[in-house]
Amino acid sequence: MMKALQNKVTELFENGTITLMIGFRGVLDKFAIPVFITEVSQADQLIWTPACLNNLSVYLHKSEVKQVGKIGIIGNAGTLRSLLQLISENQLKELELTILTINEQNEVIVFASTEELEVYVQANCPAYNPEDQALVDKLNAMTREERWKYWTGQLSACVKCYACRAVCPMCYCSVCTVECNQPQWIKLSSETEGNLEWHIMRAMHLAGRCINCGECGRICPAGIPLQLLTVQMNQEIERAFGGKTGFSAKSGYALNTFKTEDKETFIR
Amino acid sequence: MPLTRSKPKTKKHLSDNDYQMEQSLISSANLQAFFETLLQSGRIVVAPVLKQSGKVFFQPVQAYSEVATDYIQTAFSAKSVVFPKVETLFSFVRKDGEITLTDSLNRIPETVVWGLRPCDAAGFDYLTEFFLRENPDSYFKTRKEHTTLITFGCKEADNACFCTSVGLNPGNTTGSDILMTFMNEECYVEIMTEKGQQAVALAPSLFKASEVRQKDAFLAKPATRFSIDEIKDKIKHAYASAEWKQVSLGCFSCGACAFACPTCTCFDIQDEGTQDKGVRLRCWDACGFGMFTRHSSGHNPKNNQTERRRQRLMHKFNYSVDNLGIVSCVGCGRCIRVCPAHLNIFENILSVTKD
Repeated sequence: MMKALQNKVTELFENGTITLMIGFRGVLDKFAIPVFITEVSQADQLIWTPACLNNLSVYLHKSEVKQVGKIGIIGNAGTLRSLLQLISENQLKELELTILTINEQNEVIVFASTEELEVYVQANCPAYNPEDQALVDKLNAMTREERWKYWTGQLSACVKCYACRAVCPMCYCSVCTVECNQPQWIKLSSETEGNLEWHIMRAMHLAGRCINCGECGRICPAGIPLQLLTVQMNQEIERAFGGKTGFSAKSGYALNTFKTEDKETFIR
Repeated sequence: MPLTRSKPKTKKHLSDNDYQMEQSLISSANLQAFFETLLQSGRIVVAPVLKQSGKVFFQPVQAYSEVATDYIQTAFSAKSVVFPKVETLFSFVRKDGEITLTDSLNRIPETVVWGLRPCDAAGFDYLTEFFLRENPDSYFKTRKEHTTLITFGCKEADNACFCTSVGLNPGNTTGSDILMTFMNEECYVEIMTEKGQQAVALAPSLFKASEVRQKDAFLAKPATRFSIDEIKDKIKHAYASAEWKQVSLGCFSCGACAFACPTCTCFDIQDEGTQDKGVRLRCWDACGFGMFTRHSSGHNPKNNQTERRRQRLMHKFNYSVDNLGIVSCVGCGRCIRVCPAHLNIFENILSVTKD
């Protein structure tokens, strides 16, 4: 399967479809590292294992990557869903993108169109991780005081390294609110209160846009299950407006669309 | 020519004091009693604790049962004991036109850090050089004076460990007040400083005198990735290497490596509060951030991740050698384990210094 992937990428380089391939290489046994292949001779570095967890779509925002031209990218379920969401938010327009994945039968798939990607994602990619769902249910069963204690406890460990923001494909603002310092909207110091402000803001900005890939929680150096915040917010949006994120290239997102027949009864 | 403000002076470790090193033994069973003695002495004891996430963090503990023993390395270093992630430098109140300043330094408690690795202790040694060499930083100095470091030699290493590549080893005593090495059912104790001696003196009956012992057979053997002398020489010419771009492409631009690192010292001064009441804070900063070197004009001399990654690696292996005479990477491997993209510092160093 790995050989098939390497052969396919070689073919894509040779027929001029791509000039850069974003994939994974293996190093230090347990890690799979994002790799940027620019020459066909490097294609044999590519691997595909259960350790290939990163959501590579975040690299498509990086100017050094964009400059390269024709980009190939291999996606796990989270990556494929975020690509759809990014397309729906008009973020990948100027890119010449070739999207690959490896299906359950270990076959290499190159998506010929966004529609094909939609069909594949709808059939193969889960909306929520069952483990996250179980934790969210557990939190929702708590009293408000218990939940407050849980989150203040968790977030006191945050050091504001902003790795959660850095790995999130939906966090693509060129200037983040925390970087606005005239005035300083969010405290820069990393103490419980300022940490709460930051994570609440992040969860709100991702409500109905997060595709629940879970990367923010998985990579958090402080071990905070941050994905639970955005999973919860997504489910609130789902309850209020319906629809799930990351399954369609045309969906937009609930908080940025309106219908003329909206009742607006909430305005008083 | 590297920019060197002053010629590096002869390195003077804080641990290189006049104290005559002593050796002793403590039984593994008595370790707990020693730990409890430290707690009972009123000192704050900071030790590694296993959290629900499966990661181990240094934090103040109340009982020996909280202390993690089965871990290779903590997720973050213990530098926050002497260089907190947020430190109040002073607070102020303005009332009826009068401003009152309150210094925060009179509240620093006596602290013991238990369960450091030898690389971590060497990291404290670098911090001491950095903060105290030229313009002594009173905040760091006071905290350091109130801190005792009790280190445990490493029985195990993983693939991210590379202390032997930077001139250290799993049994080095640099920076430690006490170094413990497990030898079967006993622990070999090297008391390196007066502070270490004071800690042992709290429960002298738990220790018995020992001859000097060879530790090697009881210590891990991490892979050596490069010769530090060669790297120190080659990296002087690595600034213009074309490899920097390749090694930094995966970087997400977060601060995880710098915040986990035992020797990263960058900070940002922030004022919080109102005109009438507030605090001045010192907060950790990281060269990975886009804001790191941005000028008020908007110009940023390190405007992309290639330049920022280069800054981080050059600082560890070249600039700190120019400025303080020390390589400021201790090979703990935290940046490799914590990096969301698993950027590998020793691999990167080898790439940019290859012929």
